[in-house]
Amino acid sequence: MPDESARPPARSAKRGNRIQWRALLRAVHRDVGYAAVGLTFVYAVSGLAVNHIAAWDPNFVNTTTTHELGAPLPTDDDAARTLVLGKLGIAETPREVFREGDELEMLFEHRTLHVSAPTGHVVDEQQQPRFFVRAANWLHLNRGKKAWTYFADSYAVGLLFLATSGLFMIAGKKGFFGRGVFFVAAGVAIPVVYLALVRG
Amino acid sequence: MADSRDPMFHPSMQRRTFLRALTAGTVVMALGGGAYVLADSEEERKARETPRPDGRPRLPPSQFLLKRLRPMGGEEGDPSPGGWRLKVHGEVDNPVTLDFAALLGMPQVDQECDVHCVTKWTVLGAHFTGVRVADLAALAKVRPSAHHVIFEAAYGYTSNVLLSEALAPNVLVAHHLEGSPLPRAHGAPVRALVPDLYFWKSAKWLTGIRFSRDDEPGYWETRGYSNHADPWKEERYA
Repeated sequence: MPDESARPPARSAKRGNRIQWRALLRAVHRDVGYAAVGLTFVYAVSGLAVNHIAAWDPNFVNTTTTHELGAPLPTDDDAARTLVLGKLGIAETPREVFREGDELEMLFEHRTLHVSAPTGHVVDEQQQPRFFVRAANWLHLNRGKKAWTYFADSYAVGLLFLATSGLFMIAGKKGFFGRGVFFVAAGVAIPVVYLALVRG
Repeated sequence: MADSRDPMFHPSMQRRTFLRALTAGTVVMALGGGAYVLADSEEERKARETPRPDGRPRLPPSQFLLKRLRPMGGEEGDPSPGGWRLKVHGEVDNPVTLDFAALLGMPQVDQECDVHCVTKWTVLGAHFTGVRVADLAALAKVRPSAHHVIFEAAYGYTSNVLLSEALAPNVLVAHHLEGSPLPRAHGAPVRALVPDLYFWKSAKWLTGIRFSRDDEPGYWETRGYSNHADPWKEERYA
Protein backbone atom coordinates (compact mmCIF):
# COMPACT_ATOMS: atom_id res chain seq x y z
CA MET A 1 0.00 0.00 0.00
CA PRO A 2 1.51 3.31 -0.99
CA ASP A 3 2.35 5.77 1.70
CA GLU A 4 -0.17 8.63 1.27
CA SER A 5 1.63 10.87 3.67
CA ALA A 6 4.64 10.78 1.40
CA ARG A 7 2.77 12.58 -1.42
CA PRO A 8 3.34 16.30 -1.91
CA PRO A 9 0.31 18.01 -0.25
CA ALA A 10 0.35 21.24 -2.29
CA ARG A 11 -2.84 20.84 -4.35
CA SER A 12 -5.10 19.45 -1.62
CA ALA A 13 -3.86 21.99 0.91
CA LYS A 14 -4.62 24.80 -1.53
CA ARG A 15 -8.14 23.47 -2.06
CA GLY A 16 -8.50 23.04 1.69
CA ASN A 17 -7.56 26.67 2.33
CA ARG A 18 -10.11 27.86 -0.22
CA ILE A 19 -12.86 25.82 1.40
CA GLN A 20 -11.94 27.20 4.80
CA TRP A 21 -12.01 30.73 3.44
CA ARG A 22 -15.53 30.28 2.06
CA ALA A 23 -16.67 28.48 5.18
CA LEU A 24 -15.44 31.38 7.29
CA LEU A 25 -17.20 33.86 5.00
CA ARG A 26 -20.43 31.90 5.25
CA ALA A 27 -20.17 31.70 9.01
CA VAL A 28 -19.61 35.43 9.39
CA HIS A 29 -22.33 36.19 6.82
CA ARG A 30 -24.74 33.93 8.72
CA ASP A 31 -24.06 35.55 12.10
CA VAL A 32 -24.13 39.11 10.81
CA GLY A 33 -27.39 38.13 9.08
CA TYR A 34 -28.86 36.93 12.36
CA ALA A 35 -27.87 40.18 14.01
CA ALA A 36 -29.43 42.18 11.19
CA VAL A 37 -32.85 40.52 11.36
CA GLY A 38 -34.37 42.90 13.94
CA LEU A 39 -33.26 46.10 12.26
CA THR A 40 -34.15 44.74 8.82
CA PHE A 41 -37.74 44.31 9.99
CA VAL A 42 -37.72 47.81 11.47
CA TYR A 43 -36.36 49.45 8.32
CA ALA A 44 -38.33 47.34 5.85
CA VAL A 45 -41.70 47.73 7.57
CA SER A 46 -41.11 51.44 8.05
CA GLY A 47 -39.96 51.76 4.44
CA LEU A 48 -43.16 50.17 3.19
CA ALA A 49 -45.23 52.31 5.53
CA VAL A 50 -43.64 55.62 4.61
CA ASN A 51 -43.42 54.77 0.91
CA HIS A 52 -47.22 54.79 0.84
CA ILE A 53 -47.67 57.80 3.07
CA ALA A 54 -50.04 59.39 0.56
CA ALA A 55 -52.44 56.50 1.09
CA TRP A 56 -52.45 56.34 4.88
CA ASP A 57 -51.02 57.84 8.04
CA PRO A 58 -48.22 55.46 8.99
CA ASN A 59 -47.96 56.79 12.54
CA PHE A 60 -51.54 57.15 13.75
CA VAL A 61 -55.05 55.85 13.33
CA ASN A 62 -57.03 59.08 13.07
CA THR A 63 -60.75 59.08 13.73
CA THR A 64 -63.26 61.90 13.97
CA THR A 65 -66.71 61.48 15.45
CA THR A 66 -69.34 63.97 16.58
CA HIS A 67 -71.54 64.14 19.66
CA GLU A 68 -74.35 66.40 20.79
CA LEU A 69 -74.42 67.49 24.42
CA GLY A 70 -77.95 68.80 23.98
CA ALA A 71 -77.30 72.04 25.83
CA PRO A 72 -75.01 75.06 25.70
CA LEU A 73 -71.84 74.94 27.79
CA PRO A 74 -71.63 76.75 31.11
CA THR A 75 -69.44 79.85 30.99
CA ASP A 76 -67.23 78.53 33.77
CA ASP A 77 -64.49 76.26 32.37
CA ASP A 78 -64.51 73.82 35.29
CA ALA A 79 -68.25 73.40 35.05
CA ALA A 80 -67.98 72.98 31.29
CA ARG A 81 -65.29 70.34 31.68
CA THR A 82 -67.36 68.40 34.22
CA LEU A 83 -70.39 68.54 31.96
CA VAL A 84 -68.54 67.36 28.85
CA LEU A 85 -66.68 64.55 30.62
CA GLY A 86 -69.87 63.39 32.30
CA LYS A 87 -72.01 63.48 29.16
CA LEU A 88 -69.41 61.64 27.08
CA GLY A 89 -68.43 59.23 29.85
CA ILE A 90 -64.74 60.11 29.71
CA ALA A 91 -62.71 59.17 32.79
CA GLU A 92 -59.39 60.59 31.58
CA THR A 93 -58.40 63.98 32.95
CA PRO A 94 -57.79 66.53 30.18
CA ARG A 95 -54.34 68.06 30.20
CA GLU A 96 -55.71 71.36 28.96
CA VAL A 97 -59.03 73.14 28.66
CA PHE A 98 -58.83 76.15 26.40
CA ARG A 99 -61.69 78.47 25.53
CA GLU A 100 -61.51 81.04 22.79
CA GLY A 101 -64.71 82.80 21.86
CA ASP A 102 -67.43 80.24 21.23
CA GLU A 103 -65.07 77.28 21.06
CA LEU A 104 -63.83 75.17 23.92
CA GLU A 105 -61.03 72.71 23.35
CA MET A 106 -60.23 69.87 25.71
CA LEU A 107 -56.92 68.17 25.10
CA PHE A 108 -56.08 64.64 26.18
CA GLU A 109 -53.02 62.56 25.44
CA HIS A 110 -54.35 61.17 22.16
CA ARG A 111 -57.63 62.98 21.82
CA THR A 112 -59.00 66.49 21.36
CA LEU A 113 -62.60 67.53 21.90
CA HIS A 114 -63.66 70.64 20.03
CA VAL A 115 -66.86 71.85 21.66
CA SER A 116 -69.13 74.58 20.34
CA ALA A 117 -70.17 76.44 23.50
CA PRO A 118 -73.51 77.79 22.23
CA THR A 119 -74.77 74.53 20.70
CA GLY A 120 -73.02 71.74 22.60
CA HIS A 121 -71.87 70.18 19.33
CA VAL A 122 -68.67 68.18 19.89
CA VAL A 123 -66.09 67.15 17.32
CA ASP A 124 -64.18 64.28 18.89
CA GLU A 125 -60.81 63.85 17.25
CA GLN A 126 -58.80 60.80 18.26
CA GLN A 127 -55.32 59.87 17.23
CA GLN A 128 -54.11 56.45 18.33
CA PRO A 129 -50.46 55.66 17.66
CA ARG A 130 -49.76 52.55 15.59
CA PHE A 131 -47.75 50.46 18.01
CA PHE A 132 -44.95 48.92 15.97
CA VAL A 133 -44.99 51.01 12.81
CA ARG A 134 -44.75 54.32 14.62
CA ALA A 135 -41.76 53.14 16.62
CA ALA A 136 -40.19 51.74 13.44
CA ASN A 137 -40.73 55.05 11.63
CA TRP A 138 -39.25 56.94 14.52
CA LEU A 139 -36.12 54.81 14.34
CA HIS A 140 -35.98 54.74 10.54
CA LEU A 141 -36.21 58.50 10.23
CA ASN A 142 -33.73 58.82 13.11
CA ARG A 143 -35.94 61.26 14.95
CA GLY A 144 -34.00 60.75 18.14
CA LYS A 145 -30.55 61.37 16.61
CA LYS A 146 -27.85 60.87 19.27
CA ALA A 147 -26.76 57.24 19.76
CA TRP A 148 -29.15 55.89 17.15
CA THR A 149 -26.99 57.40 14.43
CA TYR A 150 -24.21 54.98 15.42
CA PHE A 151 -26.56 51.96 15.41
CA ALA A 152 -27.98 52.98 12.05
CA ASP A 153 -24.50 53.48 10.59
CA SER A 154 -23.39 50.10 11.94
CA TYR A 155 -26.44 48.47 10.40
CA ALA A 156 -25.73 50.12 7.05
CA VAL A 157 -22.13 48.86 7.16
CA GLY A 158 -23.48 45.43 8.10
CA LEU A 159 -25.75 45.45 5.05
CA LEU A 160 -22.82 46.37 2.83
CA PHE A 161 -20.91 43.46 4.28
CA LEU A 162 -23.83 41.08 3.76
CA ALA A 163 -24.22 42.18 0.16
CA THR A 164 -20.53 41.89 -0.59
CA SER A 165 -19.91 38.63 1.27
CA GLY A 166 -23.04 37.17 -0.30
CA LEU A 167 -21.36 37.42 -3.70
CA PHE A 168 -18.59 35.01 -2.76
CA MET A 169 -20.23 32.54 -0.43
CA ILE A 170 -20.81 29.85 -3.03
CA ALA A 171 -18.48 28.60 -5.71
CA GLY A 172 -19.39 26.92 -8.97
CA LYS A 173 -22.27 27.41 -11.38
CA LYS A 174 -24.62 28.67 -8.67
CA GLY A 175 -22.02 31.12 -7.39
CA PHE A 176 -21.30 34.67 -8.46
CA PHE A 177 -19.26 33.55 -11.46
CA GLY A 178 -22.02 31.17 -12.49
CA ARG A 179 -25.56 32.42 -12.66
CA GLY A 180 -25.01 34.90 -9.82
CA VAL A 181 -23.49 37.48 -12.11
CA PHE A 182 -26.73 37.66 -14.11
CA PHE A 183 -28.81 38.30 -11.03
CA VAL A 184 -26.36 40.91 -9.79
CA ALA A 185 -26.42 42.57 -13.21
CA ALA A 186 -30.22 42.61 -13.17
CA GLY A 187 -30.24 44.12 -9.69
CA VAL A 188 -27.82 46.85 -10.73
CA ALA A 189 -29.64 47.44 -14.02
CA ILE A 190 -33.01 48.14 -12.39
CA PRO A 191 -32.07 51.48 -10.78
CA VAL A 192 -29.82 52.43 -13.70
CA VAL A 193 -32.52 51.84 -16.32
CA TYR A 194 -35.15 53.48 -14.13
CA LEU A 195 -33.02 56.59 -13.68
CA ALA A 196 -32.24 56.71 -17.39
CA LEU A 197 -35.94 56.47 -18.30
CA VAL A 198 -37.35 58.75 -15.61
CA ARG A 199 -34.72 61.46 -15.54
CA GLY A 200 -34.03 61.35 -19.25
CA MET B 1 -48.86 4.30 -1.17
CA ALA B 2 -51.50 7.00 -0.84
CA ASP B 3 -54.98 6.20 -2.11
CA SER B 4 -56.08 8.82 -4.63
CA ARG B 5 -59.69 8.23 -3.58
CA ASP B 6 -58.86 9.39 -0.10
CA PRO B 7 -60.76 12.68 0.55
CA MET B 8 -57.49 14.15 1.72
CA PHE B 9 -56.27 14.11 -1.86
CA HIS B 10 -59.43 15.48 -3.45
CA PRO B 11 -58.99 19.02 -4.73
CA SER B 12 -61.03 21.52 -2.77
CA MET B 13 -62.03 23.22 -6.04
CA GLN B 14 -62.10 21.91 -9.60
CA ARG B 15 -59.56 23.53 -11.91
CA ARG B 16 -62.28 24.73 -14.28
CA THR B 17 -64.28 26.28 -11.44
CA PHE B 18 -61.20 28.00 -10.14
CA LEU B 19 -60.37 29.44 -13.56
CA ARG B 20 -63.95 30.65 -14.04
CA ALA B 21 -63.91 32.38 -10.66
CA LEU B 22 -60.53 33.91 -11.37
CA THR B 23 -61.65 35.24 -14.77
CA ALA B 24 -64.90 36.63 -13.40
CA GLY B 25 -63.06 38.32 -10.53
CA THR B 26 -60.52 39.84 -12.88
CA VAL B 27 -63.23 41.22 -15.18
CA VAL B 28 -65.15 42.73 -12.28
CA MET B 29 -62.03 44.32 -10.86
CA ALA B 30 -61.00 45.67 -14.26
CA LEU B 31 -64.44 47.14 -14.99
CA GLY B 32 -64.73 48.63 -11.54
CA GLY B 33 -61.26 50.11 -11.70
CA GLY B 34 -61.88 51.37 -15.21
CA ALA B 35 -65.07 53.13 -14.17
CA TYR B 36 -63.22 54.67 -11.23
CA VAL B 37 -60.41 55.88 -13.46
CA LEU B 38 -62.86 57.28 -16.04
CA ALA B 39 -64.84 59.12 -13.37
CA ASP B 40 -61.69 60.57 -11.91
CA SER B 41 -60.16 61.48 -15.23
CA GLU B 42 -63.30 63.42 -16.20
CA GLU B 43 -63.01 65.57 -13.09
CA GLU B 44 -59.30 65.94 -13.60
CA ARG B 45 -59.72 66.89 -17.26
CA LYS B 46 -62.13 69.62 -16.23
CA ALA B 47 -59.69 70.87 -13.58
CA ARG B 48 -56.86 70.91 -16.11
CA GLU B 49 -58.94 72.93 -18.56
CA THR B 50 -60.12 75.45 -15.99
CA PRO B 51 -57.75 78.41 -15.81
CA ARG B 52 -56.92 80.18 -12.57
CA PRO B 53 -56.97 83.98 -12.42
CA ASP B 54 -53.24 83.94 -13.21
CA GLY B 55 -53.89 81.90 -16.37
CA ARG B 56 -52.35 78.69 -15.13
CA PRO B 57 -54.50 75.56 -15.15
CA ARG B 58 -56.24 74.77 -11.92
CA LEU B 59 -54.71 71.29 -11.80
CA PRO B 60 -50.93 71.36 -12.23
CA PRO B 61 -49.28 68.78 -14.49
CA SER B 62 -49.03 65.16 -13.28
CA GLN B 63 -51.34 65.82 -10.32
CA PHE B 64 -54.43 63.73 -9.58
CA LEU B 65 -57.41 64.64 -7.43
CA LEU B 66 -58.27 63.64 -3.92
CA LYS B 67 -61.38 64.65 -2.05
CA ARG B 68 -59.67 65.67 1.17
CA LEU B 69 -56.26 66.41 2.59
CA ARG B 70 -53.95 63.61 3.62
CA PRO B 71 -51.88 64.17 6.77
CA MET B 72 -48.53 63.06 5.24
CA GLY B 73 -46.73 62.49 8.52
CA GLY B 74 -44.16 64.68 10.19
CA GLU B 75 -43.02 64.78 13.78
CA GLU B 76 -46.05 65.88 15.76
CA GLY B 77 -45.77 69.08 17.73
CA ASP B 78 -47.80 70.00 20.79
CA PRO B 79 -51.44 70.50 19.71
CA SER B 80 -52.16 72.73 22.70
CA PRO B 81 -53.60 76.12 21.75
CA GLY B 82 -53.01 77.34 25.33
CA GLY B 83 -49.30 76.67 25.18
CA TRP B 84 -48.81 77.72 21.57
CA ARG B 85 -46.62 80.70 20.70
CA LEU B 86 -45.60 82.14 17.35
CA LYS B 87 -42.31 83.98 17.22
CA VAL B 88 -42.07 86.48 14.38
CA HIS B 89 -38.44 87.54 14.17
CA GLY B 90 -35.28 87.89 12.11
CA GLU B 91 -34.86 90.87 9.80
CA VAL B 92 -37.57 92.90 11.50
CA ASP B 93 -37.68 96.10 13.55
CA ASN B 94 -40.44 94.88 15.83
CA PRO B 95 -40.03 91.21 16.72
CA VAL B 96 -43.21 89.85 18.29
CA THR B 97 -44.37 86.68 19.97
CA LEU B 98 -48.08 85.92 19.64
CA ASP B 99 -50.20 83.52 21.61
CA PHE B 100 -53.26 81.86 20.17
CA ALA B 101 -55.66 84.52 21.41
CA ALA B 102 -53.49 87.26 19.91
CA LEU B 103 -53.47 85.44 16.59
CA LEU B 104 -57.25 85.19 16.64
CA GLY B 105 -57.37 88.91 17.49
CA MET B 106 -55.76 89.81 14.16
CA PRO B 107 -57.74 90.24 10.91
CA GLN B 108 -59.00 86.80 9.90
CA VAL B 109 -59.17 85.47 6.36
CA ASP B 110 -61.52 82.74 5.17
CA GLN B 111 -60.35 81.29 1.90
CA GLU B 112 -60.87 78.39 -0.41
CA CYS B 113 -57.72 77.28 -2.15
CA ASP B 114 -56.26 74.29 -3.94
CA VAL B 115 -53.54 72.27 -2.26
CA HIS B 116 -50.88 70.37 -4.20
CA CYS B 117 -48.73 67.67 -2.65
CA VAL B 118 -45.39 66.67 -4.14
CA THR B 119 -46.60 63.05 -4.06
CA LYS B 120 -48.96 64.15 -6.86
CA TRP B 121 -52.30 64.51 -5.13
CA THR B 122 -54.28 67.71 -5.26
CA VAL B 123 -57.31 68.77 -3.27
CA LEU B 124 -59.46 71.45 -4.87
CA GLY B 125 -61.24 74.06 -2.80
CA ALA B 126 -59.88 73.29 0.66
CA HIS B 127 -61.31 75.79 3.12
CA PHE B 128 -58.85 77.41 5.53
CA THR B 129 -59.16 80.19 8.07
CA GLY B 130 -56.18 82.11 9.34
CA VAL B 131 -54.10 85.26 9.34
CA ARG B 132 -52.16 86.54 6.36
CA VAL B 133 -48.38 86.29 6.65
CA ALA B 134 -48.37 89.74 5.05
CA ASP B 135 -50.23 91.11 8.09
CA LEU B 136 -47.75 89.45 10.45
CA ALA B 137 -44.91 90.91 8.39
CA ALA B 138 -46.47 94.37 8.69
CA LEU B 139 -46.86 93.92 12.44
CA ALA B 140 -43.22 92.93 12.80
CA LYS B 141 -42.05 95.71 10.47
CA VAL B 142 -39.93 93.66 8.10
CA ARG B 143 -36.77 95.38 6.97
CA PRO B 144 -36.02 95.91 3.27
CA SER B 145 -32.98 93.67 3.73
CA ALA B 146 -35.24 90.60 4.14
CA HIS B 147 -35.65 88.47 1.02
CA HIS B 148 -36.71 85.11 2.39
CA VAL B 149 -39.13 83.67 4.92
CA ILE B 150 -38.28 80.62 6.99
CA PHE B 151 -41.25 78.82 8.52
CA GLU B 152 -40.11 77.22 11.77
CA ALA B 153 -41.99 74.28 13.23
CA ALA B 154 -41.85 71.61 15.90
CA TYR B 155 -38.66 69.61 16.33
CA GLY B 156 -36.61 71.84 14.10
CA TYR B 157 -38.60 71.40 10.88
CA THR B 158 -38.21 74.39 8.58
CA SER B 159 -39.27 75.35 5.08
CA ASN B 160 -38.08 78.33 3.08
CA VAL B 161 -40.15 80.57 0.84
CA LEU B 162 -39.23 83.69 -1.11
CA LEU B 163 -40.45 86.81 0.71
CA SER B 164 -42.30 87.99 -2.37
CA GLU B 165 -44.23 84.71 -2.46
CA ALA B 166 -44.81 84.54 1.29
CA LEU B 167 -46.47 87.95 1.21
CA ALA B 168 -49.05 86.85 -1.37
CA PRO B 169 -52.60 87.39 -0.07
CA ASN B 170 -53.38 83.66 -0.05
CA VAL B 171 -50.44 82.76 2.20
CA LEU B 172 -51.74 82.24 5.72
CA VAL B 173 -50.97 81.12 9.18
CA ALA B 174 -53.99 78.81 9.38
CA HIS B 175 -55.84 77.55 12.44
CA HIS B 176 -59.09 76.22 10.97
CA LEU B 177 -59.71 73.69 8.21
CA GLU B 178 -63.16 73.14 6.76
CA GLY B 179 -64.70 75.24 9.50
CA SER B 180 -63.23 73.20 12.35
CA PRO B 181 -60.10 73.71 14.39
CA LEU B 182 -57.09 72.30 12.60
CA PRO B 183 -56.86 68.54 13.33
CA ARG B 184 -53.79 67.23 15.12
CA ALA B 185 -52.63 65.32 12.07
CA HIS B 186 -52.70 68.53 10.04
CA GLY B 187 -50.52 70.50 12.42
CA ALA B 188 -52.77 71.70 15.25
CA PRO B 189 -53.09 74.24 16.51
CA VAL B 190 -51.54 76.29 13.69
CA ARG B 191 -49.82 75.59 10.38
CA ALA B 192 -48.46 77.64 7.52
CA LEU B 193 -50.40 77.64 4.27
CA VAL B 194 -48.63 78.41 0.99
CA PRO B 195 -51.13 77.11 -1.55
CA ASP B 196 -49.16 77.89 -4.69
CA LEU B 197 -46.14 75.80 -3.73
CA TYR B 198 -45.94 72.09 -3.00
CA PHE B 199 -47.48 71.45 0.35
CA TRP B 200 -44.32 70.56 2.29
CA LYS B 201 -43.62 74.31 2.29
CA SER B 202 -46.76 74.73 4.43
CA ALA B 203 -45.10 73.76 7.70
CA LYS B 204 -47.34 72.04 10.23
CA TRP B 205 -47.11 72.68 13.99
CA LEU B 206 -45.83 76.17 13.21
CA THR B 207 -43.84 77.91 15.95
CA GLY B 208 -42.03 80.71 14.18
CA ILE B 209 -41.72 82.90 11.12
CA ARG B 210 -38.24 84.18 10.53
CA PHE B 211 -37.51 86.84 7.96
CA SER B 212 -34.07 86.35 6.53
CA ARG B 213 -31.58 88.20 4.40
CA ASP B 214 -30.23 84.94 2.98
CA ASP B 215 -31.95 81.81 1.76
CA GLU B 216 -31.82 78.83 4.11
CA PRO B 217 -33.01 75.56 2.55
CA GLY B 218 -35.20 73.70 5.01
CA TYR B 219 -35.82 70.11 6.05
CA TRP B 220 -36.86 68.63 2.70
CA GLU B 221 -34.90 71.13 0.64
CA THR B 222 -31.68 69.79 2.17
CA ARG B 223 -32.83 66.22 1.46
CA GLY B 224 -33.00 66.44 -2.28
CA TYR B 225 -36.27 68.28 -2.82
CA SER B 226 -36.62 71.45 -4.85
CA ASN B 227 -35.72 74.71 -3.19
CA HIS B 228 -38.63 76.52 -4.84
CA ALA B 229 -41.31 73.81 -5.33
CA ASP B 230 -43.57 75.31 -8.00
CA PRO B 231 -46.24 72.66 -8.87
CA TRP B 232 -46.84 74.10 -12.36
CA LYS B 233 -43.15 73.69 -13.21
CA GLU B 234 -43.08 70.31 -11.44
CA GLU B 235 -40.23 71.49 -9.27
CA ARG B 236 -40.20 68.38 -7.12
CA TYR B 237 -36.54 67.56 -6.78
CA ALA B 238 -33.32 69.52 -6.73
